[in-house]
Amino acid sequence: MIRFVDVQKTYSNGVQALKGVNLQINDGEFVAIIGLSGAGKSTLLRSINKMIPITSGQLYIDDIEISSIRGKALRYLRRSIGMIFQSFNLVKRMSVYNNVLTGRVGYHSTFPTLFGLFPREDKILALDSLDALGILDKAFTRADQLSGGQQQRVALARALTQKPKLILADEPVASLDPITTVQVMDDFARINKDFGITIVANMHHVDLALKYATRIIGIRDGIVVFDGLSSEVNEQILVEVYGRTLKHNEVLGE
Amino acid sequence: MTMARLTLTNGKSVVKPFNRIWIVLAVVIVLGLIFGYIIKLDSEGISFKPDQLPIILKKLFSPHRGETWADYFAYIPKLQNVLIMTLEMCYGGTVIGSALAIPTALLSSRNIVKTKWIYGPARFLLNLFRTIPVTVLAVISIGLVGIAGGSTLAGTIAITLFTYGVMAKMLYELIETIDMNCYEAIESTGASHLQAIRFAVLPQIYASFAGYVIYVFEMNVRSSAILSYVGIVSIGTIMRIYEMTDYDKVGGAVILLFGVCVVIQLCSDLARRKLQ
Repeated sequence: MIRFVDVQKTYSNGVQALKGVNLQINDGEFVAIIGLSGAGKSTLLRSINKMIPITSGQLYIDDIEISSIRGKALRYLRRSIGMIFQSFNLVKRMSVYNNVLTGRVGYHSTFPTLFGLFPREDKILALDSLDALGILDKAFTRADQLSGGQQQRVALARALTQKPKLILADEPVASLDPITTVQVMDDFARINKDFGITIVANMHHVDLALKYATRIIGIRDGIVVFDGLSSEVNEQILVEVYGRTLKHNEVLGE
Repeated sequence: MTMARLTLTNGKSVVKPFNRIWIVLAVVIVLGLIFGYIIKLDSEGISFKPDQLPIILKKLFSPHRGETWADYFAYIPKLQNVLIMTLEMCYGGTVIGSALAIPTALLSSRNIVKTKWIYGPARFLLNLFRTIPVTVLAVISIGLVGIAGGSTLAGTIAITLFTYGVMAKMLYELIETIDMNCYEAIESTGASHLQAIRFAVLPQIYASFAGYVIYVFEMNVRSSAILSYVGIVSIGTIMRIYEMTDYDKVGGAVILLFGVCVVIQLCSDLARRKLQ
């Protein structure tokens, strides 16, 4: 469970990205965060695993207040949270298998991992994750040889290998073509259902957000302006989130 | 040299900013003129004798008077001991110096160490260190460990220090160009900084690093010839001993050095192709 209590974030350049966010996200939910570029979606998402530290307020994950944790405790928090990025963020020169294995790095002390040593269970786990995403045959291919959709699946496999309770996804399909987009979103849905992993995703395709997520959070200028079920979202709510009526082609993710 | 205003067919116009390459070119030309003027002022003692060039080349690359080509080439194998000594200290110095350069380069990289108070001084010390010429490093090394009994230790230390300075600089510039997105991704999995460096930084630099190591090794083999002038025994010692008398022996040493550098180059190309 994630709980935001009056969370604010002001960057050192004075930009106020979050202006008092209050939220609760329960285990097993599939939440999509929508809003314009610069509305604070990425900041909100990255504050959950403290990749961006908040300025004030409290942020609880399973009742642990995370704004004060650091060092080992922070690493333990992060390893239980998978993260997916718009540009996949794989180590391009490394094999798919080694990329997925990096999901286990946080579970081990520094020294053995510096030599690339992982226990057998980890190796099996990495291969299982690849298999779950249907890309086991690519295990020993270099990551940069794969298509965008395949790379995002490798990133998902890396996240799964962490055995996370939660996966954060920052615009996971924004650099994919429409067909691959649907495949990757189906993967998210399956991971949410089969593994019971909570998914929090920033989306800028409203139709995809409505189709896949059970709950929508709309933010505008660092403030949550809508929080409710996908089925409750109507045109008026979108106007409130985006500041104007969306054209048909803007709602559709094509 | 003014900013160009370009008008589109529909009447709109844009101002194309001034291209800075012209300033750079102007500076280069002005400096060239200044230095050219200075050199002309004190060139009185110099007598340029182009007719000497073929004579020198002939002395270097042909047998000594009264000897045959067989004698000329028979001399090269006799250099194997100095060659082995040269390669020994260059290999040791390059490997140790390169290894030492890695942590320093990481500390000097702005994208890895975000604290100005660490990368600033680290870079400053490196720059200061690199101002010391390799011959001075060699003199210091000789002072530290001596060169009694033809030991290669002093030479190895000098080349280690030189390699360290050059390599750390090249490496941190390389590290600053890498993709940091995967670093963020690996940190987000709960990895420590060292682990993130191991899995996000090293895979991106190791191929270029290997290329740099071979390049610096070759550079060291060539510059070890110069080290003989401060007393370190290397292939350059042959050149120094015979530079006044037996040009053919110097020529043999030059051919050998050339051959070694070509072989290293070939290995470098091969290694790059395999590692890319």
